[in-house]
Amino acid sequence: MSDATSGSTAASSARGTDRGAGWARTEPSGAAGAASQAPPRAAAGETLLEIRGLEKHFPLTQGVVFRRTVGHVRAVDGVDLTMRRGETVGLVGESGCGKSTVSKLLVALEKPTAGEILYKGRDVARMNRRALKAYRREVQIIFQDPYASLNPRMTVGDIVSEGWAVHTDVAPKKGRLQRTQELLDRVGLNPDYVNRYPHQFSGGQRQRIGIARALALRPEVIVCDEPVSALDVSVQAQVVNLLEDLQDEFGLSYLFIAHDLSVVRHISDRVAVMYLGRVVEEGTDEQVYGSPSHPYTQALLSSVPLHEPHLRGQKDRILLEGDVPSPADPPSGCRFRTRCWKAQDICAQEPPALVDRGQGHPSACHFAEARTVVPTE
Amino acid sequence: MTEQQQMDLRRDEVEAGAQTGLASPSVDVTSGRQNSLWGDAWRDLRRNPLFWIGAVLGLSFLLMALVPQLFARGADPRDCDLSNSNQKPSAEHWFGFDQQGCDYLANVVHGARNSLIIGLLAVAVVLVLGVVVGAIAGFYGRWLDGLLSRLTDIFYALPLILGALVVLRSGILGRGVVAVAIALAAFGWMTAMRLVRSQVIAVKSSDYVAAARAMGASNRRILVRHILPNAVAPVLVYTTITIGVLIAAEATLTFLGVGLQRPAISWGLQIENGQSLLRTAPHLVLFPSLVLTLTVMAFIMMGDALRDALDPRQRA
Amino acid sequence: MTRPDPTTSVLTGSAGTPVLEVDDLHVEFRTRSGVVNAVNGISYSLAEGQTLAILGESGSGKSVSAQAIMGILDSPPAVITGGGILFEGRDLLTQSPEEQRKVRGPGISMIFQDALSSLNPVYSVGYQIGEMFRAHRGTSKRDAKKHAVELMDRVRIPGAASRVDDFPHQFSGGMRQRVMIAMAIALDPRVLIADEPTTALDVTVQAQVMDLLKDLQRDTGMGLVLITHDLGVVNEVADDVAVMYAGRIVERGTVDDVFGNPAHPYTEGLMNSVPQVEAKGGRLQPIVGQPPNLAAIPSGCPFHPRCARRRLGADAAPGRECATDVPPLRLVVPGREAACHYSEEVLGV
Repeated sequence: MSDATSGSTAASSARGTDRGAGWARTEPSGAAGAASQAPPRAAAGETLLEIRGLEKHFPLTQGVVFRRTVGHVRAVDGVDLTMRRGETVGLVGESGCGKSTVSKLLVALEKPTAGEILYKGRDVARMNRRALKAYRREVQIIFQDPYASLNPRMTVGDIVSEGWAVHTDVAPKKGRLQRTQELLDRVGLNPDYVNRYPHQFSGGQRQRIGIARALALRPEVIVCDEPVSALDVSVQAQVVNLLEDLQDEFGLSYLFIAHDLSVVRHISDRVAVMYLGRVVEEGTDEQVYGSPSHPYTQALLSSVPLHEPHLRGQKDRILLEGDVPSPADPPSGCRFRTRCWKAQDICAQEPPALVDRGQGHPSACHFAEARTVVPTE
Repeated sequence: MTEQQQMDLRRDEVEAGAQTGLASPSVDVTSGRQNSLWGDAWRDLRRNPLFWIGAVLGLSFLLMALVPQLFARGADPRDCDLSNSNQKPSAEHWFGFDQQGCDYLANVVHGARNSLIIGLLAVAVVLVLGVVVGAIAGFYGRWLDGLLSRLTDIFYALPLILGALVVLRSGILGRGVVAVAIALAAFGWMTAMRLVRSQVIAVKSSDYVAAARAMGASNRRILVRHILPNAVAPVLVYTTITIGVLIAAEATLTFLGVGLQRPAISWGLQIENGQSLLRTAPHLVLFPSLVLTLTVMAFIMMGDALRDALDPRQRA
Repeated sequence: MTRPDPTTSVLTGSAGTPVLEVDDLHVEFRTRSGVVNAVNGISYSLAEGQTLAILGESGSGKSVSAQAIMGILDSPPAVITGGGILFEGRDLLTQSPEEQRKVRGPGISMIFQDALSSLNPVYSVGYQIGEMFRAHRGTSKRDAKKHAVELMDRVRIPGAASRVDDFPHQFSGGMRQRVMIAMAIALDPRVLIADEPTTALDVTVQAQVMDLLKDLQRDTGMGLVLITHDLGVVNEVADDVAVMYAGRIVERGTVDDVFGNPAHPYTEGLMNSVPQVEAKGGRLQPIVGQPPNLAAIPSGCPFHPRCARRRLGADAAPGRECATDVPPLRLVVPGREAACHYSEEVLGV
């Protein structure tokens, strides 16, 4: 096989330079190319999604025949978030903080208990059938588990083109096969794979199929729920790069949910940190990672192991005590106070609002104070 | 390394990631048609010898049920002579004679019709009831699931034979072949329902159903395209085995005096009557049991082949 | 924790005789669809107090090699087809099951990624920790429980005395992993193998658990084999690292050397493909392609189809053709081994 493969790395890099055509939307958002240390790309874009006071409480029930509610799990408990066109908003937090519930609420798989999700100014919960269908076309989701998110009994072609069977106006019936193949090509899969089944692919390839399915409806927003956490390190970067390229090409906006702080920093323009159902800090990646002002953000950043030998031992060590409290019975006032070294009486009484406290970005801590945790190069 | 893997590898290098964008007309996108699960399953079935053995056996029994004269070697099942009672098989009369002195081959062959009707009809009803009730209970959940599941429990509490006995004794359905089939199905669908329900619940919460839902797919579409194809496989295997159980259950009903009665002819009746003569004339049980076993095996082989064909992961 | 002298640690095991040596270990899985070559001749040694990280992606054979050491491979289908596993100089593979049992537990113990499924849900954690003493030392029930409380204290489970009778499901993921660690260190093993101990945990809990492991190691002087896919964890905890790919070790050396200046293109690729938390960074440089299928490992250097530096055909030096000649793991510079024909180029020396 040596001959056929020998030059192809070089070939692929040459090809990469003239990308673009094919599936491009009407106007690829100007600044294609590397997303290096450029300022937030689409800071000026119009507001696309606005989340206000979003809450989702799941009832805790007992009994089989006669169910009674014995409490509520406050999975999401007052989240505010804004997303502008062409922007990537990162949502980080540990397991159980409610970030995945936010993603389900956003794609209308769950109904909010309170608060609203405004998409282009309209509340999703109050949309009629038609508007909701249009919303579901424009807002797509990519799941974490590439094994569970593809129907094992459908061909790749059927999976990718399923959206067109629901939204028949997006692609005319006749050219669907070709468009499916173009999509597969665009996400880096062989177009001849349309007739294969998901189990014939590796994790990274399956995630590409999931991305092609989301792209098929030409969405405006894609909710990425831990899209790379199940992938091998060497494959993660491929998928992250693909997502970045597609964003530039199609002018997509991402809500990028993950627990890996490094990946979130890399891909996001703005980052929100969640703890026990609430956003505790929000800002540009530089603000949140460079000068975190909420104690939880600081502790979180301090826990990330660095992989550069020369930076070892240079970061601020903050080891949190104890475990995250149960979302069924969260602490009064500030949610983080039970593990916080700055906690005082006021923290138990008054929940801190997510506002700018002189740090240049919003932080939900009564004693917010910028602190450099991660060494900067 | 197979050729396929080599091709994949070559492709991998292009798809890479360092450069995700490919030049626009990089690949010739004219590979023709798109396959579907059922099309692929059929192609797979056609290559499965087990399926063919099952199909040939099943078809011959079907033919036996439709035109028994073809198989009876000219004998009439009701042309009996008591002097031949319980005679052993011979070159002239392959299956020997029964207690009344009737040609047993003709009897067994003519029994196919009633037995197959009861088995297939009852299983069809079991399948439909099981899948419909199970899918509704599993898919819609909440109070509907509670209601249907309790209903199923009530049916579970009544044993198959006892339930069928009560229904047939009451005479609402009469005493014919169809009545027996329906009576058996009415008390035999619960396991199929539970199987479907648990599968539907498992599949319903999967990410790919969430993806379809987030895309705006209707409930009907989700049920038909995603949930049922994934939920039906275990039920298929269960029902193919059930065919034999139901045909045998018909025999028990006869023994209790509520199933088919002479002069009707069925395998169940023959096995039942032969039981008391097992020591003196074992062939009376042997032959109907043999054809019954072959029939059940035919359906099990087809069911197994179908299940594997419908699961892409089983394909080479 | 002092880092061992890099020039001696890799090849001889730092200062003194190694406690654990793995010598040219081969493991394959014989399945119906063919033979899967999970481990293809790996060797390493571990000295007392040393932390060796085995870094690799899924399917690199890193966990299988650990299971082979612990004698917990599923066989069939797994078969150890060659090599030796030496504990204090004696080959475990040639010993009787009874002799092996005396080593595994008191001598070498292991913790796993999934603490919940490793604990029996119907016994209290105290009972399960105490079981180690009862089974191996014949301690009485009462003393075993006393030891269990002490151990739970040592792994910093708050309120150990009151929680000793709790059941596994009453603990959080981090606490369960501490219970597993308590069981693993109960008999003062000389070697602890930690197979992805923090992968299932949140990052703040991961930091706590890694901290605990480091402290325990310093106190007891045991050797630690840390199996992980996380470059950051390796960098923060380990002294030495062995990078695995397709069932082979492709590079080995101190963490500072290997991460600071990789000698194998795979290590180099890994370093380039992970984003950093300390800077937004430019475009990521992924490794092309997919990890190999162990049932059909590419000929020559197993990494060559994905390698950016490969030399094929006429480009290659004689006997060093990447697609046909298997590169041996060789000493490249003092203290560093790599399995690449062109390591000097990768290193830039």
